[in-house]
Amino acid sequence: MLRRTFLMSVGLPVALWLTGCRGQRQFARIVNPGDKALMGSHQAGAETFGPLVDEAVAKLLARNAETPVQQVSYDDSGEPIPCEPKRICFVGVENKSAEDIGDFKDEIYQVIDTRLLQTPIFQPLNRRVVDAGLLETRLRPDQLCIPEHMRQFATHLEREGEPIDYLLYATLTSGTTRENRDYERSYRLTMELIDVRTGTYDKQSADLVKGYHHSRLSRWRATNPLSR
Amino acid sequence: MTRLGLLAIVVPCLALLAGCATHITRLEPVRAAFHRGDLDEAERLIAADLEQHPGDADVLTLDRALVALADGRPLAAEDLLKEVRDRFDHLEQESPVEDAWSMLSDDQQRSYAGEDHEKVLLRAMLAITNLSSDGGDAEAFGYQAAEKQAEIVAAATEEDGTNPKASYRQIALAPYLRGVLREETHRDYDDAARHFATVVSWQPEFTPGQADVVRASGGVHSPRGHGVVHVFALVGHGPCKVVVEEIPSSAALLVADQILSATLAQSLPPTVAPIKVPRVVAAPGLVSAVAVGRAKAEGGVAWQARTSTITDISRMAVEQEAAVHDRTVARAVARRALKKGTVFGVKEGLGVERFGPAALAFDLAGVAWEAAENADTRCWGLLPDSIQVVRMELPAGQHTLALQAVDRQGLAIGKVVPRSVTVADGRNTYVVLQAPDAGIIGEALASSP
Repeated sequence: MLRRTFLMSVGLPVALWLTGCRGQRQFARIVNPGDKALMGSHQAGAETFGPLVDEAVAKLLARNAETPVQQVSYDDSGEPIPCEPKRICFVGVENKSAEDIGDFKDEIYQVIDTRLLQTPIFQPLNRRVVDAGLLETRLRPDQLCIPEHMRQFATHLEREGEPIDYLLYATLTSGTTRENRDYERSYRLTMELIDVRTGTYDKQSADLVKGYHHSRLSRWRATNPLSR
Repeated sequence: MTRLGLLAIVVPCLALLAGCATHITRLEPVRAAFHRGDLDEAERLIAADLEQHPGDADVLTLDRALVALADGRPLAAEDLLKEVRDRFDHLEQESPVEDAWSMLSDDQQRSYAGEDHEKVLLRAMLAITNLSSDGGDAEAFGYQAAEKQAEIVAAATEEDGTNPKASYRQIALAPYLRGVLREETHRDYDDAARHFATVVSWQPEFTPGQADVVRASGGVHSPRGHGVVHVFALVGHGPCKVVVEEIPSSAALLVADQILSATLAQSLPPTVAPIKVPRVVAAPGLVSAVAVGRAKAEGGVAWQARTSTITDISRMAVEQEAAVHDRTVARAVARRALKKGTVFGVKEGLGVERFGPAALAFDLAGVAWEAAENADTRCWGLLPDSIQVVRMELPAGQHTLALQAVDRQGLAIGKVVPRSVTVADGRNTYVVLQAPDAGIIGEALASSP
C-alpha cells in the first residue's frame, strides 16, 4: 500500500513532466565523414551538391592536366619542366535551376575555389580581387563573355597586377519530370573555362538525378525493382 | 453537501470573474506613448508591465526592441529580437500539460509562440536592424526569414493535402532584402533577379519591383562613381488583437445546453457568458509614406522620391488570422463543452439533487468558470502598419538626406528630419526610421558602407 502510494506520488508527476513539457531547446551533433547525413526532402542539399562539385571539378582537372614538357636541350638533363599554372578568374556560380539554393551558393564557390587552388594546374585569383574588379568595371558576370567586355576586364585585372588566362564559370541547371505528385529532378553542374585571349571555351559537367516522393510507399515503388 | 463545501467551489470561481485586463488593454498606453514619439515613457511603461506580467515577457520584449531601434540603439534591439526568436522557436513545440490547462481556463494560460506573421517579421526586422549597424549578419537573417516563411506553410499541410495557410500573403521584405544584398556583390545578379521576381509576385502593388527585376536581369547595381541608398521606413500603426464575442456560436451553445439539460439527469451550466475570441484589426494611423529628398547647398530641399510598401503588415495579419479564425472559435467552443461536461460529471459523481440548492450553486460556479475566460490578445503591439522602402542612386560622397512623413493626401506630418549619409562607389547605404503617427520619431539610423 505504501509502495503504491509512493509510486503514485512520485511516478505520476515525473510521468507528467516527461510527457507534458517541452523538450530541450535544440540538439546538435557533429556529422563525421561516413555518418548518415540528412537528405533534402524538398530540394537539393549537400547530398546533391557534394557529388556534383566533386565530379565536375575532377573532370575539369583531368581534362586540363597536361603532361609536363620534356625539355630537349644540349645538356641532356632530362628533367621535365612543369607547366605554368593557368591563371584563372573564377567569376562565380550561376544558379539557373528551379530551386533557390540559399546559402549553398557561396559554399559551392568556396569548395570549387579551394579545390582549384590545391592543384598545380590552376592558379585562381583571390575572390576579393574578382569582386573588386567587377565593382570597378561595373561589368556583370554574364557580360564578360562578350569579347569587348572580356578584354576590358582582363586589361583591368592586368593593370592591377593580376593577369588572367581564363575565365571560369560554374552554372547549376535543372530539369524536372513529373508523374502525378512525384517528380524527378536532374541537376547539372557545368564548369565552363573560357580562354580570354582567343575566346575559345571548354566545358565539363556532372549530373545527378534525384527523385522526390510524396509518401514512403511512392518512394518504395520507385526503388523496388518488382514494382517496375 | 455542506455550505462550506459549496462556498469552497463558488467563491474561487466568482473571484475569477473579476478577471484581468487583457494584454492589449494594458498595452494601450505604451502604444500611445510610442506613436506620439515619447520613447522614454514607452520604455518605462514596458518595464513596468514586464515586472507585473512576466507571462507577457516575449511580446513586451519585441515591443522594447522597436523602442530601442527608434532610440538609436540597433545593437540592443538586435539582442532583444534574437532572444525572442530563440524563445519562440522553443515554444513552438507542443506542451500537452499547458494545452490541457488552457482547456480548463483560457488561451492566455498557454505560452505565446508568436503569430505566423510575427515569426517571419521578427527575422526580417533582425535583418533591417543589422543593416543599420554593421550589416554582417543581414543576409543570414534575410535567409532565415524566407526559410521560416516556407516552414510555416509547409508544416500546415493536412493529411488530405489541403493547407489552410497556403493562401497566406507572404512577406516580400525577406526576398527583397536578399535581392538587395546579392545585387551589391556585383556578381550574384542571377540571385538578385530571382529574389526581386519573388517580390513582384508576392507584393504586386510594390511598383518599383519591376524596375528592380529589369535592373538585376540586365543592368548593374549603379553607374560608376555612384552608390545606392535604401531608406527603410516602418510606417503607421500596426495591427492589434481585440476581444470579440462569438455571438452565433454562443447562441448555438445556449440552445444546445437547454436541450441537453432537459434530457439529461443533471442540468448543464447555461451559456450566459459569450464566447470570446481574439480578432486582428488594422488601425493604420495618419502617416502613409515618407518623402525623401536631398538638402540643397543654397538651402531648401529637393524632394526626390517617396517610400513604397514592400510589406503590408496589417493586411497580412488580418488575412492570416482570418485563415485560422475558425480553428480559434472551435477551440473556444470545445473548451466550453469541456467545462460544462466537468460540472455535469462532478454533480453526477457527488449525487447532487437535480433541482436542489447544490445544483444551482454548481451551475452558478460553472457560469462563473466560463465567464472567467478571456481571449488571448497578446501580440507584437508596436509593429508598423507597413514596411516601406525607397531606393536612390546617388554620387559617391557625403549627402544630407531630408526625411518627411506624409499622409494620404501628401501633406507633411511632423518635422523634416535631416540625416547625413555616406555613399560609397558601388555600395549600399541603409537608412532605417520609424514614422508611426506623429511624423518621424526618435533617430533615423544610417549605416556606413
